[in-house]
Amino acid sequence: MGLFDKLLAKFQDDWCKECRRPMEKVRKQLFALPGVSVGHYTAHKDPGFYRKTLYIVEKKADIPPGMYACGAIQYRCPECTRRVTVLDPFLPVRNEEKHEGTVVFRDGELDDLLWN
Amino acid sequence: MKTEQVKKINYVYLLCYIFVPLAVAGLSLFIGYTFFPDGGHGAAISMFVIPLLAVLWWIFAGRNIYRLGKKRMVKQLDEMGIDRRQIFYSDGCVVSMDMEQGKIGLLFFWSPFQVQVAPASRVTKAWTDDGAGGAGFMRGTSRVSFLFVIDGIKIRVNTFISNQRWKMNDEKVLEGISKADRWVMLLDQVRGQGAGA
Repeated sequence: MGLFDKLLAKFQDDWCKECRRPMEKVRKQLFALPGVSVGHYTAHKDPGFYRKTLYIVEKKADIPPGMYACGAIQYRCPECTRRVTVLDPFLPVRNEEKHEGTVVFRDGELDDLLWN
Repeated sequence: MKTEQVKKINYVYLLCYIFVPLAVAGLSLFIGYTFFPDGGHGAAISMFVIPLLAVLWWIFAGRNIYRLGKKRMVKQLDEMGIDRRQIFYSDGCVVSMDMEQGKIGLLFFWSPFQVQVAPASRVTKAWTDDGAGGAGFMRGTSRVSFLFVIDGIKIRVNTFISNQRWKMNDEKVLEGISKADRWVMLLDQVRGQGAGA
């Protein structure tokens, strides 16, 4: 395993930190963050917050103006089968998006939210 | 608290704001020139301190009176039993919306002593102005605002303002557009409720 792979594993959310190889995308879902409006975003690391707050929407157009959305992608390592969920809260503004930085859950904290 | 026609400017306040310090400074200069021709403390006060105070008044008093007006507005809305959870503080005015009762509360920079409450049904139009200008890589904006017409008066509420031009996809601009779009949506909603009430 080269230095480049180690760096990728450290800084890329879609690389397995154990096996140091790219993971495959197994689920992608868009959620609305109904309690969070523009100018009132605060970063949360607690999975409980997302479990309570997020609800599934089909497309970005379903999110009212000035309200936050959250993209969720679950990756699975083909070697060790570890699952990682990456949340990407963002503010949809017309055809643009203002991203607030990703939140990563590595221990299956949001599996119930994504798979139910 | 007013419910009659909305007024953006209290002309008595505006004229007093401009001319009272001017008159005081003029009078002070006259007194200094007439009674203290040889200098001294009296001359310093009348020909320097008082005109300086007038200049400081023009620079700082407006925003401080407006700031106190904003605090008073919150109290007054609470006393009136108006829900002020939807409130937007801008440089020129404060807009508050009670979604349940269909009422809009307004406070203007040039009318800071008067909280004006009007039924939302009097809003006839609301829209966003992203201020986009320029072409190609120069395309950008220095002001984003939402506007609405109430009692035939157009009110502009800035959600982003700068002395530079920013790209349309800059985070600050996007946030300004988002705020403006959200307030237009809320205004349209409350307008519909007010019309139905």
